[in-house]
Amino acid sequence: MTHFLPFLVTAMNRHSTFMCRNRFSLSPVALVLTVCGSLLFVSGCGKTPAASFRPNMVEAAKQRLKPEQEEQVATILEAMFGTPDNPIAMPETGLDIGKLRLAAGPVHSDIVGRKNGLFREHCSHCHGVTGDGMGPTAAFLNPYPRDYRPGWFKFKSTERADKPTHGDLVTILNNGIYGTSMPSFELLGEAKVDALVEYVKYLSMRGEAELNMMRYFFELDDEDEGKLPETRDFLVEEILLPVAERWQEAEDAVIEVPEMPEVDLAESIAMGKELFYGNKANCVKCHGVTALGDGQANDYDDWNKVVKQWSDEVQSSHEVSTKEMSREEKAEHREYLARADKALAGDALEPRTIQPRNLRQAIYRGGRRPIDFYYRIHAGINGAPMPAAAGTLTPDEIWHVVNYIRSLPYEFDGELGADRSMVARDRL
Amino acid sequence: MRNLCLSRENCLPRRVGLTLGVSSRPGLQWSVANCLLCTMLLCMTLLCTMTGCGQSRLPAPTPDSEAAIALRASLASDSAGGAGGSEVVSTGTGWGTLTGRFVFVGSPPAAKQLIVDKDTAVCTAEGRKLFDQSLQVDEATGGLANVVVFARKVSRVKEREMPEEPLVFDQKVCEFLTPVFAARVGQPIDVRNSDPIGHNTNVSGTSFNQLIPAGEGTLFTPARETGMPTMVTCNIHPWMKAYAVFREDGYVAVTAADGSFTIPDLPAGEEVELQVWHERSTGPNGALAADMPELDWSSKGRFTVTLEADGTTDIGEVQIPASAVGS
Repeated sequence: MTHFLPFLVTAMNRHSTFMCRNRFSLSPVALVLTVCGSLLFVSGCGKTPAASFRPNMVEAAKQRLKPEQEEQVATILEAMFGTPDNPIAMPETGLDIGKLRLAAGPVHSDIVGRKNGLFREHCSHCHGVTGDGMGPTAAFLNPYPRDYRPGWFKFKSTERADKPTHGDLVTILNNGIYGTSMPSFELLGEAKVDALVEYVKYLSMRGEAELNMMRYFFELDDEDEGKLPETRDFLVEEILLPVAERWQEAEDAVIEVPEMPEVDLAESIAMGKELFYGNKANCVKCHGVTALGDGQANDYDDWNKVVKQWSDEVQSSHEVSTKEMSREEKAEHREYLARADKALAGDALEPRTIQPRNLRQAIYRGGRRPIDFYYRIHAGINGAPMPAAAGTLTPDEIWHVVNYIRSLPYEFDGELGADRSMVARDRL
Repeated sequence: MRNLCLSRENCLPRRVGLTLGVSSRPGLQWSVANCLLCTMLLCMTLLCTMTGCGQSRLPAPTPDSEAAIALRASLASDSAGGAGGSEVVSTGTGWGTLTGRFVFVGSPPAAKQLIVDKDTAVCTAEGRKLFDQSLQVDEATGGLANVVVFARKVSRVKEREMPEEPLVFDQKVCEFLTPVFAARVGQPIDVRNSDPIGHNTNVSGTSFNQLIPAGEGTLFTPARETGMPTMVTCNIHPWMKAYAVFREDGYVAVTAADGSFTIPDLPAGEEVELQVWHERSTGPNGALAADMPELDWSSKGRFTVTLEADGTTDIGEVQIPASAVGS
């Protein structure tokens, strides 16, 4: 060091037009710059660490898990599902390991013409490596990318609480979701889209298994000492199979759509309009009397609702007086609140209210075929406040509403039972 | 400090300052402060590059990879292994009834007014106000209503017939009339709408999210038991909230206005563990903890009691302090 400094000083003094010439032999600025610069080399630019799944810290904080409990869940998940670079498909899941390997891992190629790491390349920047909808770009997107972990999917052909079929997910990847940041991946080709769909199912099953395990800690008896039983009976039969079976049942749970009634289209639209404004379907209550989606703005979709409700609970827990608590309870209470605040700040996106669809824009996220409308109205939208009309409207009535909605972007008269006339800019 | 490029026009901190807009005209005499500022800015930028401005996130646990590999092997083999102490062995005979009363200590905080911004012609007709019903304390007796008590795992279940009449769950003037209700799995529930406007009743955790036209009702039969009570909402009127709990064995009760509850036909002569829940409880998952060590009341809101056959066992008054209930 001592030999180095004079050399440095002389070198710097040579560049007198660049550095300040001053009475001290060593410019403080130059010294600081050199030190900082060398530290940069020492600290920063190493190898990229391997990708790892991020645990569901919001649920872990909610369930007040201890670090060893979180570690147990992470270990079990690695045993049952592997890592982002090396996925495991247990036979009970019914997943195809070949497809998973194509989609998993860093982008790399072992065989000429075949590229692995599809999910990392195309999906993880929005959906996250864990499929938690919290990739690096997620916070900038409206709507947020899907969080697969609770296992809820919006746009599908099955009844409300059922999982989507394989075909439903392929459709979403092929068409993208119009009106959101989800693009179409049709150009990847069928095999790659299939592989990505399989990986999405894998991440969803993994996420649901994680949630079930974290919630199960509360169900443990005191004798279990806060550890989950690591037996096949518990992990496979109780945790994994209920999730996997719902996915396998999805293929048989597709909604049966009857034929459109043989009615003149104009008549059908008129009947649909009556139902839209009527008391049975109550469409205007959320979609607004102008159908611009301005009927309501204070509800949340299920993903945001979980965060919002817990955030409110944590808020009210902050205001609880700790006077009557013992010292232990007070410490526990404070620790819980500290973890909760950190989880909400670093592992959850800011909750956003959900806007009912503006039906005059002709932008339909779930698809714009007549049958897509039928599915949305019949089963509602899982994860969103949109309710099912199945028991309330007959299939014919649903078709009339479908026809009315399809005519809405072209309705120009402005006399729609609305209390104001329709102006072009209102449509947006 | 004085020697730091006060007169030098091309010195580095000054050039940084010009770039950053700290100093506008090159001909201006630089003050010591300006020079210091630029130097500090330069250093801080470099330091930030090195350390990064990471928010402190919760540290994630690292999975034990070796244990994971071992576990994977053991799961793949068909070795059975028990489900971990979930079987309850029956050691008693007969059936008994459990009763008790929950009492709120102190005066409850005032109920918050709900924001009603839809269908105000019906919901807030004639200046009516809607209030949050999560904490109902009886003025006369101090009883805490809407506490749910249910049996966790029982060794045997008495054969009881499912009630013929469906349980009525109604909503009127934009409020659910029963803030907390309990039912057996498989028991039909008549979800009614006694308002002149439409509602949709969304029972989270089930497949039921149904539009209910004005004046009509729909039957809902829960197919699975809930763990702790689950929320019931209306998406058209988001302030509406209720809770529902469904149990397979039907050993569940909701305290009445005076705080009392009764669960008949529980297995007698053996230890029965019951879970207690309240909507506003600060415990995990809403579990309500009380200070009653004679009942082994745990922090997870569970207590254990042995019932006498063909009789009524009364756990007495359970005092719930204001600190157990959030604001």
